[in-house]
Amino acid sequence: MATQFGQFLRQRREELKETDSSYSLRRVAEKIGIEPSYLSKIERGIEKSPSEHVVNQLAAILGEDPDVLLAMAGKISTDLAEIIQKRPQVFAELIRAAKNLPDQSVLRVVREVRDGDW
Amino acid sequence: MITLEDKKLTFRFPDVHPKACLDISFLRTLRIPDDGETYPLPPGLDTFPLEHVDDHMSKVPGSWLKHGGVMLPMHQSEAMWIKFSSHQITERRQAYPFAIKIAAGKIDAVSGKPWTSTLNFDHQNYVVSPRQPWLDGFCVEEGTIRQFVAMPLGEGYTVEEQLVDGAYTGGLQIQVYPMKREAFEERYPEKQDPFLEQPYVFYSIVDTPKLSMGLGAGGKMKQEIKADPYEPEEWALETSSRCFVHLANSQAWQAITGSKPPTKPLSAAQYSDHKLPWFDHYSEGPNVTCMDILSGVKSVNEIAETKGLTLLENDSVDVDRVIKLRSKYDTDQVREGEF
Repeated sequence: MATQFGQFLRQRREELKETDSSYSLRRVAEKIGIEPSYLSKIERGIEKSPSEHVVNQLAAILGEDPDVLLAMAGKISTDLAEIIQKRPQVFAELIRAAKNLPDQSVLRVVREVRDGDW
Repeated sequence: MITLEDKKLTFRFPDVHPKACLDISFLRTLRIPDDGETYPLPPGLDTFPLEHVDDHMSKVPGSWLKHGGVMLPMHQSEAMWIKFSSHQITERRQAYPFAIKIAAGKIDAVSGKPWTSTLNFDHQNYVVSPRQPWLDGFCVEEGTIRQFVAMPLGEGYTVEEQLVDGAYTGGLQIQVYPMKREAFEERYPEKQDPFLEQPYVFYSIVDTPKLSMGLGAGGKMKQEIKADPYEPEEWALETSSRCFVHLANSQAWQAITGSKPPTKPLSAAQYSDHKLPWFDHYSEGPNVTCMDILSGVKSVNEIAETKGLTLLENDSVDVDRVIKLRSKYDTDQVREGEF
């Protein structure tokens, strides 16, 4: 999974670099505050467990959804973990019940802003 | 469908496109002087908190429950701007297009006409995201808006009170239409890519004008309302979502929610004294030509003067530093200074 994550990162970064040189390995690493060699290892799948903070920063720079990138890296965001840990039974049941539902049906489970009569 | 996610309204249209998603947030800013001058863009300071009206059923007015939606706190004469962030569809390298109608007190902020639930393609009464990254006020002439400024309803300051007789609505009304999926996919081909109702109970708070705020017209600001670059038939007119955003006087916010409202923002003079930047945004393409209705409304300061009152913190300011924002606005581009 981490290798797929690294491949995706590299491919996305290289695509962006074609039109914007600030997406070079070195400059992206600088923006995040990590060594270029470390980012290179992440992209090649050698470093398999970058921190949530690093993944979130990569998502922001590359314009990707942080939850999707975290999932590709085999992680779950801390806030989601906390939500589940606070009410483990109800969320475990909800997630298991919803696991095979299509996206549209899952989205309908979330709380919508109620529209009224204007 | 609309959800409230961490200080932003998220509009999704899974029936049109699984990734058609637009975030709308409301940002605090300084009120620009209402002195006849036209100012550049002020910065975004921070985001207004948002709460479901239904979470405070026992403490909000009955009319708010009837309208539904969400609420946010504003200080009297505080300014706001509305930020639109359309999600990028990665495989097409394009943010999904949305047509957005914005009204204050059911007066359309672009055309000045009373609220309707339809898009007008002859005299544009909406903005288009991602082309339009934000809206700061009422369109009063081409390239110029008057800033959204919160004022108590019932005292004659708001735009709706100048244009409509009778009961006042207050708040903000938003309706969003996505582009049709076929139109989007035809315009933006795929690029190579790896991958209850409950009984309402009313207690002590009654719907007095002091609690509900509306939006008046503040100082003038340079801001273009970009014309719709798409064809009418490309919009999914039968699929829209709408939301009522109530503006609660910040003094009442704590009583309603139990949370402290944000403190008063900096004044324009304090901001400029610290040599903090203003912004200028230009993008190519035609603008909407504003209708005469809104160019004729009186500003909050003009109304205050007719009442023999003085609008506080309205001194003219010198704008020393203007940062030009690049013409092709990126949703990550920051219109915010370091504070």
